[in-house]
Amino acid sequence: MDRVPTPYELPQPVVRPGEHRPVRRLERPVQGRRLGGVCAGLAEHLGLNVRHVRLAFILSCFAGGAGVVAYVFLWALTPQSLVTTQVAGADVVAASRPANESVRNLMIGLALLVVGGMLLAQQHGVNLRLGVLIPLLTVAGGAVLAWSKLDDAERGRWLVGDMGPGGRRAGLVRLGIGIALASIGAVVLATQGRGLAGLWDVGIPALAVLAGAALIAAPWGVRLWGDLRAEQAQRIRETERADIAAHLHDSVLQTLALIQRQSGDPAEVVRLARAQERELRGWLYAGPLGSQASLASAATEVAHEVEDLHGIPIELVVTGDRALDAGGTVLVRALREALLNAVRHGAPPVSVYVEVGSVSVEAFVRDHGPGFDLEDVPQDRLGVRESILGRMSRHGGSATVRRLEHGTEVSLSLPVTATPDAVAQPDTEGTR
Amino acid sequence: MPQSKTPIRLVLVDDHRMFRSGVKAELDESMVIVGEAADVDAAIVVVARTRPDVVLLDVHLPGGNGNGGSDVITGSGGVTAESGELVRFLALSVSDAAEDVIAVIRAGARGYVTKTINAQDLTDAIRRVAEGDAVFSPRLAGFVLDAFGAAAGEVAMIDEELDRLSAREREVMRLIARGYQYKEVAKELFISIKTVETHVSSVLRKLQLSSRHELTAWAVGRHLL
Repeated sequence: MDRVPTPYELPQPVVRPGEHRPVRRLERPVQGRRLGGVCAGLAEHLGLNVRHVRLAFILSCFAGGAGVVAYVFLWALTPQSLVTTQVAGADVVAASRPANESVRNLMIGLALLVVGGMLLAQQHGVNLRLGVLIPLLTVAGGAVLAWSKLDDAERGRWLVGDMGPGGRRAGLVRLGIGIALASIGAVVLATQGRGLAGLWDVGIPALAVLAGAALIAAPWGVRLWGDLRAEQAQRIRETERADIAAHLHDSVLQTLALIQRQSGDPAEVVRLARAQERELRGWLYAGPLGSQASLASAATEVAHEVEDLHGIPIELVVTGDRALDAGGTVLVRALREALLNAVRHGAPPVSVYVEVGSVSVEAFVRDHGPGFDLEDVPQDRLGVRESILGRMSRHGGSATVRRLEHGTEVSLSLPVTATPDAVAQPDTEGTR
Repeated sequence: MPQSKTPIRLVLVDDHRMFRSGVKAELDESMVIVGEAADVDAAIVVVARTRPDVVLLDVHLPGGNGNGGSDVITGSGGVTAESGELVRFLALSVSDAAEDVIAVIRAGARGYVTKTINAQDLTDAIRRVAEGDAVFSPRLAGFVLDAFGAAAGEVAMIDEELDRLSAREREVMRLIARGYQYKEVAKELFISIKTVETHVSSVLRKLQLSSRHELTAWAVGRHLL
């Protein structure tokens, strides 16, 4: 399978002094910016001194506000750079995070200054044509509000919808207010202050034009939408396929390789195949058994552990389930001991049946070995006497060892209600 | 176990050729394979043509209505073996997913075993199915106990009740789940092997006919380990 190199494996362009400088993509740096980072980005992109660019912008502001318009458009259309770049000639220290705050304050101050200046000018008889200026400013304000939603690297998160519900709602409100402001401004501007009556005169022809345009563009739009959907579905399929391939590569192919290498050792091959089968089954049918704190899953885990330890397959059947409490833990530990006994001293097949009922939990471990009588077991053999029989009886349950015609069966039983407190009686003895 | 005089005529239905050849190599001379098929449609044709005693049926098969082994059983309804008995089906699966197992049993399979079964057990299972009895693996027994609420202590008062197991049936199922062979079950409960087989067949019938709602809900919501 082809591998896509991880980002840090991508070849980095190395710039040597004297060599031709690589052209950078136009983007707004986070560091070294004064307002929106447009000048800094532009300077970086064009290879100019940032001071000169800034000066040019300030000068062009006096040419009928062209600089302002250009700045706003560049700011809205230029993506913010995700990596922090060193900007030539910029004061990096002055422009880190706290600078954002000061820039905001500066903006508010500037806006107030402009408003005050306008009021003063109006009083001294200069006609500022407020009927045009105020709607224009409203449109600009709305646009800034709406577009700023897409700023600050929120672009990606906004599109993916990865934000918390609160942040998302705030963003939507911001966007809504921005759009409303802009539309109101546009309407007022278009109707030249004649109010809603004028809106009809302007609005209906505009709507007719829009409708005509929509009609013409509709088939194209629909096809584009369809293509987009198809492409999305394709990408989802590819992602899924890549996931499955990755999983198979990590699990099944590795195991197959191991099996080929260990083909001389049948026990090891069986153990590997068994473990892989279980893993794959768990992955395919990840069901309610996955919850860790249940008695059934704990018993399953123990059986798998012993199976892996000794390479002897264990046939496990569990019916019913309940939360894993202190009594359940005791039973599972005794079950583990019984299983270890069965795989060590018995013969396969080893069967386990765990029945979780409403009044009691029962577990049966059965092997097909020669079997043994409890009386024959020496007193010092802690495995059976202590870890199984003693442990069960201490916790209000019971355990019996039976010799069958073929093999031995250990039965464990624990009443569900008569479980002593786990804290008062911790189960501390060793596992042998 | 009484040995049949005439060999059991067998059809193998599995879409993995490796598995079919593996089974062929394992079976002894008391059985003869009269046909093989790799998908649902081929299987129905082969079963109708060869009229075997037992069909060894993979649960997952391509073709048909997309229901795998169940489609073969419904498609072969009414086909009789040369002995005059209806053709019997033994389901085989690697999946252990309850909805697959329950579907193929309710479609009419006489038993269910996993593909990891050893050669001797498989031979026994085929013979048992050929004689009209049911074959339950420990896992299927565990599933039955769970689905009928028998593990929680629900027991039928009368044997004919379809939605619950009788006390005896519950005992038999519990012993099978514990890994006991039929003859060991018989010895444990002081009954004959024939009686054990009767109980198992009765449980199979309940599994096929019961409308117990937990059965379907359980099968959908959970998998056999």
